[in-house]
Amino acid sequence: MTSTATPDTEKAPLFGADEKRVVLDPLWDNNPISTQMLGICSALAVTTGLKVSIVMGISVICVMAMANVVISLLRNLIPSKIRIIVQLVVVSGAVIIVDQVLRAYAFDLAKQLGVFISLIITNCIVMGRLEAFAMGNPPWRSLLDGISNGLGYAWVICLVGAVREVFGAGKLLGVQVIPDSLYEAGYVNNGLMVLAPGAFILLGVIVWVQRAIMGKVVE
Amino acid sequence: MNTNSNSYVMVFAVGMCVTVSTILALLATVLKETQQAAAEFDRQKNVMMAAGLIEAGDPRSREELEKLFQDKVTEVTVDTETGAELQGSAEEVAQKRKVSPLRYRVVGAAKTDKGEVTILPVSGKGLWSTIYGYIALESDRDHVRGITFYKHGETPGLGGEVENPQWTAQWVGKSIRRDDGIGVIVKKGQVDASVQREQDHYVDGLAGATITSNGVTKFVERDLRSFEAYLSKN
Repeated sequence: MTSTATPDTEKAPLFGADEKRVVLDPLWDNNPISTQMLGICSALAVTTGLKVSIVMGISVICVMAMANVVISLLRNLIPSKIRIIVQLVVVSGAVIIVDQVLRAYAFDLAKQLGVFISLIITNCIVMGRLEAFAMGNPPWRSLLDGISNGLGYAWVICLVGAVREVFGAGKLLGVQVIPDSLYEAGYVNNGLMVLAPGAFILLGVIVWVQRAIMGKVVE
Repeated sequence: MNTNSNSYVMVFAVGMCVTVSTILALLATVLKETQQAAAEFDRQKNVMMAAGLIEAGDPRSREELEKLFQDKVTEVTVDTETGAELQGSAEEVAQKRKVSPLRYRVVGAAKTDKGEVTILPVSGKGLWSTIYGYIALESDRDHVRGITFYKHGETPGLGGEVENPQWTAQWVGKSIRRDDGIGVIVKKGQVDASVQREQDHYVDGLAGATITSNGVTKFVERDLRSFEAYLSKN
């Protein structure tokens, strides 16, 4: 992001080429999960169903947007000696806000996600974006970067969650999608999909497919 | 401005902490009531799940379920020493009589298609935390209608499996009256189906969670015993 050396003047468009790249990059070319291999732990643990994956995805998007904007606003004030701990305080604050709101308005989901909401604090994607992007970019662009990286994370875990729910439980969002006739014909749900190793294998397949499409091999 | 001078760092750190904690404290205060209502609704759902009125993941709306609870379940405070039913909440009674509130517990009764069930609160130590749950007994006060655990801090995947419906389903139909005591025993390992005694009174242990399993056995027994006076009276 060398272009940020030039201060954004009033004439800079709200949504120019730079912003477009900031938004599109994390969705595919530089996806936090499938390319950067960050945030794998929660991607394996919470993707048992589509619903929890969606809630987890939204939570991460909110946390990243909030933390990125706050850090970006403070970026010239934060003493470099304690910048990591300051980032951590901001992330923790944002995570607690999300956790408290979930507990008030989506108690069941909060219970189901349990400790994983709090563990967003340790999600490398969040700290990574703060250190790599928000510390050096203005708030608007940081907001876009946060949302976009969150989205990049969210679509991958939602895909994994959806596949796991369909093949592990025969349902999607709690609604049965595999017809009874198939079960009568001897079809059984895949028990592996309910467990974390199933998510691990799926994630591997997603990375493989993505790299095959991109035609680029890392390392 | 020198952002790396010691005094600036100190001021910044303190300012940061105060600001963030103020925001969080405000948020927690604002949301407290909604959170308590949500937790209370979750408790009611668990009472109904133990009694077999609803199943886990019931798709009905919150209003409908709350109405169902009001219609079907009645809760009374019980003095566990005398077995008498009392007016008012456990805390109120305990305060009035100046004794430990632990002596008083709230017992539920529910009318279901398969007769009246008694829902008793059970709670006690697992490995890391206090586990809270409800056990529902059939009208014969012997066989288990259902059990749920709704609040705990056990290890997810190990002791946390106490809330797994597949595990709690094993409790259904077990008899709590053994010749050597009261309660259902969580066995280490699997129940031996060829032994009648185990079939009647034992459930499979939770793999990798021996201390949680033993804890559940112990506190269910202790709490059921404490309700003996009430059960024999009513």
